Formats: sequence, C-alpha cells, structure tokens
Amino acid sequence: MTTLQLQNIVKRYKTNTVLDNLSLDVADGETLVLFGPSGAGKTVLLRLVAGVIDPDEGRVLIGGEDMTDVEAEHRGIGMAFQNFALFPHMSAEDNIASPLTATRSSADAIKASVGKVAKLLKIDHVLSHHPKALSNGQKQRTALARALVGSPPLLLLDDPLRNVDAKLRFEMRLELPRLLAAQGATVVYVTQDYKEAMALGDRIAVMANGSIRQIGTPEEIYNAPADIEIARLFGDPTINLLDVTPKKGPHGIHVELSNVEVPLPGAPEEVVGRDCVIGIRPESISFTTAAGAVPVDVEAETPLNEKTVTLVLTARKREILVSRPAGTPGPAQGAAAIAIDGSTAFLFDKATGALVRKTATAHGRNGEAA
Amino acid sequence: MSDTALLIKNVDKFYGPIDHGVHAVRNISMDIRKGEIIALLGSSGCGKTSTLRMVAGFEAVSRGTISLKGREVHTLPPVRRNVAMAFEGYSLYPPLTVKENIAFALKSSRLSQSVVEEKVAYIARLLEIEDILHRYPSSISGGQQQRASLGRALIRDADLHLLDEPMGQLEPQLRAVLRGRIKHYIKERGLTAILVTHDQTEANALADRIAVMEGGELQQYDTPQKIKERPANLFTGTFVGEPPMNVFEAEISGDDDRMVFALNGDVRLEYRTADFQPDVRKALLQRRRVVVGIRPYSVRRVANGVPARVAVNQWLGDQTHIAADFAGGTMVLVEHDRADLALGETIGIRLDPDSLHVFDAASGAAVSHGRELA
Amino acid sequence: METTSPLERIFRFVALSLVVLFFMFPIVWIFLMSFQTNETILTIPPTIVFSPTLSNYAALITGKLTTSAGTLDIAFMRNLMNSVFLSVTSVALSLVLGVPAAYAFARHKFRGSEDIAFTLLSFRFAPPLLVLLPLTQYFQWLGLSDTYVGLIWVYQLICLPLILWIVRGYFEDISADVEYAYRIAGHSWFATFRKIALPLAGPGIAAAGLLAFIFAWNNFVFALVLASADKQPVTVGALAFVTSSGIQYGQIAAAIVLSVTPTLALALYAQRYLVEGLSLGAVKG
Repeated sequence: MTTLQLQNIVKRYKTNTVLDNLSLDVADGETLVLFGPSGAGKTVLLRLVAGVIDPDEGRVLIGGEDMTDVEAEHRGIGMAFQNFALFPHMSAEDNIASPLTATRSSADAIKASVGKVAKLLKIDHVLSHHPKALSNGQKQRTALARALVGSPPLLLLDDPLRNVDAKLRFEMRLELPRLLAAQGATVVYVTQDYKEAMALGDRIAVMANGSIRQIGTPEEIYNAPADIEIARLFGDPTINLLDVTPKKGPHGIHVELSNVEVPLPGAPEEVVGRDCVIGIRPESISFTTAAGAVPVDVEAETPLNEKTVTLVLTARKREILVSRPAGTPGPAQGAAAIAIDGSTAFLFDKATGALVRKTATAHGRNGEAA
Repeated sequence: MSDTALLIKNVDKFYGPIDHGVHAVRNISMDIRKGEIIALLGSSGCGKTSTLRMVAGFEAVSRGTISLKGREVHTLPPVRRNVAMAFEGYSLYPPLTVKENIAFALKSSRLSQSVVEEKVAYIARLLEIEDILHRYPSSISGGQQQRASLGRALIRDADLHLLDEPMGQLEPQLRAVLRGRIKHYIKERGLTAILVTHDQTEANALADRIAVMEGGELQQYDTPQKIKERPANLFTGTFVGEPPMNVFEAEISGDDDRMVFALNGDVRLEYRTADFQPDVRKALLQRRRVVVGIRPYSVRRVANGVPARVAVNQWLGDQTHIAADFAGGTMVLVEHDRADLALGETIGIRLDPDSLHVFDAASGAAVSHGRELA
Repeated sequence: METTSPLERIFRFVALSLVVLFFMFPIVWIFLMSFQTNETILTIPPTIVFSPTLSNYAALITGKLTTSAGTLDIAFMRNLMNSVFLSVTSVALSLVLGVPAAYAFARHKFRGSEDIAFTLLSFRFAPPLLVLLPLTQYFQWLGLSDTYVGLIWVYQLICLPLILWIVRGYFEDISADVEYAYRIAGHSWFATFRKIALPLAGPGIAAAGLLAFIFAWNNFVFALVLASADKQPVTVGALAFVTSSGIQYGQIAAAIVLSVTPTLALALYAQRYLVEGLSLGAVKG
C-alpha cells in the first residue's frame, strides 16, 4: 500500500496546456476515479504518474518519495491500458509474466504467480494463446492480470472497460471492487462512464480542461454538483436544466413553470430575483393527476430497461425528461401533468454556472457500503 | 396486408458461392408496417448489417425476395429503391458544409430554395447542429458528424429510412433528449424506419418492434415489452436486459402440493403447486433439467427469503446494483433507492413465481414465463 | 451489383494478358537469348526455334570469352562475388545504423528531427551523377577510391535512407502503449527496444533490407566510376562483353540471367513482405 501525491503539475504540448497546475492526493488503499470527457487530460495525468511522460512543472510523489525524475521501470507501478496494449508476439502467459521477468524471480515462482492471478481472473485456460487468438474479454482480463501480477502498491487503470461490450463491462464492474480490495492497492482509475465512476470510486475527481473541477465521494458529487457541467455529466437520462428566476410568494420561495408555482423548500433568500438555472433530475419528476401540477404535452416515450423516459414540453415549449420505473403506468399521448419534487432540485447561477443551492435532503438513505 | 411497407421473405446471404460461402444471413423473413420503427439488434457479426445492406441495395440478395410498398426491389440498384440511409461511418461529403450535406438529400426533389432552407433549419434545430451548419465535416466532432448524417437521412421523404448505428457516437448528455425528439419526428411524419444497433437501450427506446439476431438467424421479432417479458429463448433472454438476466441451472421436482426448483443443486426454491397452471406444471415436470432466469429488478429482498451474502453494493445515483453470492453463483438485484447494506451482510431473497423464466436446458427454448406457457 | 457479364470477363482477361505480356516479354526473351549463340541471336527475322547451347554459361563460369578476334579473359564470377559481398555488407551496415536511427525518429520528436530525417531522404532526390564528381575527388584524397570500404560507404547513400524511412513507418505503427506497458513492467528502454519494438517491426525490417539489397545490387554508376575491374559488381562487369569485335549478346543475356537470379529468388521468397513494406513506407513516410 502506498500514497500518491501530485503537486502543481503542469504539462504543455507546444502552446496547448493539457494539465494546468494540478494537485491531487490519493490516500493509502483508496480507489480514486478520474472522471471527465475525452480531452480532459485524464490519460496524460495517468501517464505522468506512470513515468512514461515527464511533467513540465510540478512533482510526483509515490509513497512520500519524490519520483518525478525516476524512470518508469523503477516506479513499481501496475498499469492497464484502454487498448489493452498486450504484446502481440507473446503468449498470454508471457504477457502476464512480463512484470516478473524483470525481477529475476525463479521460473517456477513466476509460473506460480501467473497461474494464481490467471485463475483469479478466469483466464487460466487460455494462457498459451497469443493475443490474436483471445476474445475481447479475455484480452481485457489478460491486461488486468498483467497489471495485478506483481502486486504493485499503486495500480493505474486507464479506462480498462472501454473496449469491451456492455455485458462484460457490467460483469467486470461487479467483479473489480472485489479484485481490488483483495489486492489492497492504491488505485487510480480513469473512466468516461459516470456509472463506473460511482460504482468503483471511494472518491471521484471530475476533470475538465486539464484541471480538477470537483473532488468528493460519489454521493457528494451526485447530490451537490459544483456546477452545471458536472451536473450534466452524472445521471442518465441527463438532468433537466431550465432558465428560471426564483420568486418569493406567500408560500415561500418558488419558481414558475407553465404558470404553475413549484415550491423550493429550503432555498436561501439570496436566489430570489436572481437569474438561475434549475437542475431537476428526471427521477425527481413524476406524472400526476393531482391539482397544482405543471401541465405538459407528451412528445415521445422512450422505454429503457429498468425505467421509462418520457420527453414532455411545457407551455413555453421547454423540454423536460421524466423518468419512472419500468412497468408503472404512464400518461397517454397528448396532455398530461407533472409534479416536481422541488426539495431535490439544484439551483445554479446562470452567469457563472456555479451551484447556489444544493438539495435539502440527499437522495435515498445514507450508508456507504463498507 | 395493405399497410405493409417492407416485406423480407426467406432471405439468405452468402459471402462467396451460394451454399458454400459464409452464410451470413439465414432464411430471414419479417414484415415492417408503414409508420413503424423497428430495430435490428445483435452483437457484431450477427448478420444485422448484412440484412440492412441488402435492403439498401449495397449487397446482393443470395436467395429470397425483398419488396417495398408491394414492388420487388431486391434486384434494383440502390438509387431506384427510394430508401434514405444514415451510415455508421457518417459518409458526409467532405467538400460540402454541414448545411449543404443535409440539403443535398433534397437535390432530386425539386423543392424550391426557400422550402429547402426551412426544412434544413427545422432539422438542424431538432438535432442541435444550428451552430455548425456552415462548418465542414472535417472540422466538427464525431458526435456532430453523426448528427449531421442523421439529419441528411431524416430530411428526405423516402419510403424507408435506414439508420445504421445512428447514435453510437452521440454525446451521452444529448442522447436521451435526442432519442425523444427523433422518435417524435419520425412518428409525427409517419415515416418507416429500420434501425441497426448493438445497443439495446437505443433499440428499446426507439423501436416499436425489435428483431433480435444472432448467428445470422432471427431469434425473436416482437415488441420491446414482449421481448423482455416473454423471451423466446435463453439467448434473447440473456442478451436483452440490462443488467443481464440472472440464470441458474435447475432441476425440477414436484407433487400435488409443492413444486421444487433445485438451483445448482444448492438452493431449493419451493412454490405451491397451485402457483402454476396445470399445463405449465406438466411442461416443467416433463423436463427435469432446465435453466431458470430472473430479471435483476424482479428479485425481491425479504426478511424470510433464501439467504444470500452481499458481495457488491453499488449506488449509481438513480438506482442501486447489488450482487450477492447465491446458489453457487451470483444474483444481481436492481433497486431504485439506495440500499443500506454492508458487504458480507446476509439478505433474504425471494423469487416470485410470476417473474421466473424457465428455459429448456438442452435447446434453450423458453418453456414458461411466470404462470404462463411460453 | 457484384455479378459481371461474360463480356466484361473476357475483356478483363485480354487486358490482363496484354499487361503481363508487355512486362514479361523482355525477361523471357533474355532467358531464351542466353541459350543461343551470337549468330542465332542476330538472325533476321528472329526465331524462337533454335538448338540451345550452354556455351554462354560455360564461358562465364570458366572466364574465357571466345570471340571471332580471339580469346578474352573476363572476370564475371569475380564480379558476381563482388556484387554479393558489396550488397550484403552495405545492407548489413545500413541495418545496424538505420534501424536504431529509425526508432529514434519514430519515438522521439526532438527539435529538428523532421528536418534531419528529410535531409537523409533527400540524398535519394539528387541524381547520382551530381554527387559523383566531387565524391571521386574526395575519395582520391582520402585513398578510398577503388576500395571495398569506399564502395560500401557510398552504397549507404542508397540503402540508408530507404531503410530509415520504411522502418520508421513500421515503428510508428507500433502502439506506444505497448512499449509503455513493457517499461512500466520494469524493463529498461533498451530491453523494450530489443524485446518489443524489434520483433514487432521484424517484417518491416526484412522488407526494407530486401529492397535495399535490390537497389544496391542494381547500382551501376557509383561502382563504374569508383571501382576498378577487380572490385566491380556484375552490373559494371557486363560492360566487358562489349568487345572490339562486337557485342556478345549471348553472354550478356547469360550474365543477366545469372545476376538476376539471386535477387529474383529473394524477392519471390519475400514477395508479401516486400509489397507490404513498400506500401507502408509510402503511406507513412
């Protein structure tokens, strides 16, 4: 086990600044997810830690030791790549063994270690195959086995599930936490999939344009996204964002949609009269027949697997996505009405995009799985 | 039928000599009604793209017929089939701007300039490409190119719209709302569309009926709901559904009083015999070895259920995925709220007879769904 | 659609046959000539019916050329040996120098790296005659003219750019991640070069080496000016058949057949690599 510290990292390619004065601390044994759109600098950051790219400024500390000028082969890191990066001219066994052959272990010891990790990842039956003869899932497992085999104290996983199909990705998402926990390693995990980030990360660092925009537990980020962009990145379907100007009335602070008041319990006074963007998660909206609901027009219903998403239009032709568990009754085509749970809505400042008010109550119950 | 738009009849596709080459599409028959959206769903190499290319006319039909609005088209060149297509690789014309690319599809329609302008503007607003109408394909992102390509296909007034992986590259934040808009657009105009995709979310969201393909064969052709509730075989059952269906091998025994499913020889699920219709009971007892499937969101957590050990508890914001060690395998549960469960904790699991899918262990064909025969 | 009409097929066949005939004719004709005496060759009209003779080959191998004016000594076999020695050594040296250089150009973009790589390639742009005069002078000053070392050195002008550019394309094609993975696994950059980059670029290196060999083998003008009779390769040696008493077409043909045979055999053996190497170099370069 070990810690990782990045201090004021700057990396430029020609005139383009890819990492902009970035600092980050990863605790011993923690799984930190680097999450963000492509081009955010996640992969460059990971390579900097691995030592195959040098930073222009700043320091990389692994286990408290300054590793900035240490070559990649002396950093003692395990890494899995998005494109697997298997050695095509070596068998799966030799691929997995490659971190051990550098350590002058005996051939028997190497074989034993490779066999053990291969069994753990269920690829012991294809060890003699060359990468060409492996299925995508087996390639991905071979790449993971290669990263894990030397029990490195620091593991870097660069979007390892990107290039496998949805089913395998789901399987691995369930399997990975157990594997990583058994290793006890400190893990930096890069992904573009918010579900993977929430499922695997003890903490998530949201990156954009070469810097970290927000860092926190999955719960902190989902329930209090620092700005509009981050709110849009988490959640499927995407959060609804509408321009509003909160008002104060006899029933407290509210916003108006289709001329109907939607109360915002617990909203601070400062938002009144300010140009804001309200963020409402599709699952916080439900169809209703009760009085005082917001009238809408149903545009299209798009069933997903475990939920059904409906696109509706408000009186001012603003689009809203509503999500409900699959199998529950929904509206007919045409006119309908929706109820919005204002207590879980976010308010962002329209000019800066920053969060002004977070949800009054967190979604669901607390209680992180140990 | 008069409202049939496209009829595919006993179509085979061989690459190489007929009967000796690679048999990519095996005796497929399906009909598509006017105004219907259907999805060809399958993993790569299942024959869905070959089928689409035969309909479009880029690939010769080895055997069988394809007719569009009652006329046989499978020997016609693509240009004479009156079919619009959005390509997986976008295939935008590089020397034309996005706007010209989209308007190009209307070239042969002899519409006036102002009508063309209006249509392009409308579709651009729908697909959120208004800002890039004057850019060239090489200077826009993959997602934007895909939207432009979609626009070029949707703007036409064709007898059939073919969309090959139309949303694979779309920005995730736009997907949900674009799905809704495109579905509304197609339905409003009564267009007929075939969508080829490997992404079941897309197929579910857009299609009226889904054709599940595997190994060149049509596995099932039905509404998304039917496919989910009544999968024809084990392949469809496990292929469609996210997270995938939990499956366990089981042995069935029973008497007048009880029906017992022994999962992996480990867990015994007991039901009242009255829970099953006599014909279902008979069909089940005829096959002793079966595969039992249950959808992750149909698994119930109850106090007095079969004990299982929680191995994973992942909260994804709007839902929770729980994996528990169960019957020598893993049982995956999906719940809509956050689950307050520690790893290693024991939970009780109940599988309602209503949500059990039973498949023949040898052939994979469905035997029963819940209380009904398959 | 995919089906072709019979007419189209016939037309295609005729067109292809014409092309094949056009390119194969000189080779077939030379081959036939090598089994004829000078008299039969010069018969007008030419005939393809003749009694074959091995006298041309015998003359080449024994080194005794019998002409109407008397017997001449020729050093054809020695020339052939020279060709083999010069080509093999030049290519070997080029590989030793060029492959690491190609790797450096592919993996390390330093200031001016593109310029240097381009300058190396530009050696191939200038007509050889342009550099030949100053080169001859230098070589005489340095005492390199008429030495194997000097020739091999000059041959680097031919081989090195070729190998550098083709092999560089191959190295660039190897995903950098694969090499990173090996580094991170704890191996030095040199081990990575040896165990990962070299084996993966193997086919490209073979193709480049083969091409360089052919170019070196076919070189004429450098050897003509810079080497005397005992160091000359076959390309220059063939001039000996233009004698005072006439041109010995039969022996020339036999000499050509003999000198083409090794490269042809090599090229046929490695045809697949060759085409791949050429097209890759062309696209990537």
